[in-house]
Amino acid sequence: MSEVQRKKYSDKDKNSIFDQEFMPHIDSMYNFAYRLTFDEDDAKDLVQDTYLKAYRFINSFEKGTNAKAWLFRILKNSFINEYRKKSKQPSKVDYQEVETYYNSDNVDYNMTSDLRVDAVKDMLGDEISNALNSLAVDFRTVIILCDLEGFTYEEMAKILDIPIGTVRSRLHRARNLLKEKLKAYAQNMGYDTEEE
Amino acid sequence: MENNFDSSNQRKLNCSDASKCFKLLESILDGQADLESKAVLDEKLAKCQPCFEHFHLEKVIREVLKTKCTKQLVPVELVDSIRQKIQDLK
Repeated sequence: MSEVQRKKYSDKDKNSIFDQEFMPHIDSMYNFAYRLTFDEDDAKDLVQDTYLKAYRFINSFEKGTNAKAWLFRILKNSFINEYRKKSKQPSKVDYQEVETYYNSDNVDYNMTSDLRVDAVKDMLGDEISNALNSLAVDFRTVIILCDLEGFTYEEMAKILDIPIGTVRSRLHRARNLLKEKLKAYAQNMGYDTEEE
Repeated sequence: MENNFDSSNQRKLNCSDASKCFKLLESILDGQADLESKAVLDEKLAKCQPCFEHFHLEKVIREVLKTKCTKQLVPVELVDSIRQKIQDLK
């Protein structure tokens, strides 16, 4: 976060920006925080810290610009710096997957999945949500930002401090991992996932 | 070439450039592509079975993520707590 104080807002301006541009995003912020920490109290603290920082550094926010992306960036940085170590991570993170997929720059888009559209449509919210939650945090994050929150690649690049090409490839890998999880659920439900 | 077509819908059964096509399809679904790319997409979906299947699977995954990963309800006391802490800062 830039600490350069570009301009001074009056107290009235600050309150109006805070109420009209920051607070409307609290649902999305809490949801993001909860899916990062998996803990209600940690999520509350993370959101509260984010809003306090946002208020403290409000002069570096340009009124009328993308407040949601600005807030998400603060929250993501707070999570990395202060919460990641202590937060309750899911017990089952497949680090082998992370090693294999994460540490290579080339993405193979030529990978087909035999997961069926109908099987995905029939899945319950819990199954989708659990599959998402079981992804390593960096993969989970790009899916939350893109699919749940609707950020563009460019906004995601700014929130995560990574190049757009990395956003694109990380997202692709994240979705492939998610498809693997969903395929396992589909097989449990008795769907035939083999090619006909 | 004959057996590279599905007789029921006349789509190619193999994609000659799946890597490039799938990348484009995913960009379009993520709202990143321009109108010209969308015209290319329409052609792909009409003529290529692997592209057609990939597009629809990717599309439904985005849909279920958006509709079924319900948002956690914000604890009622959180907003008040934030406002109180801001007051204390002033």
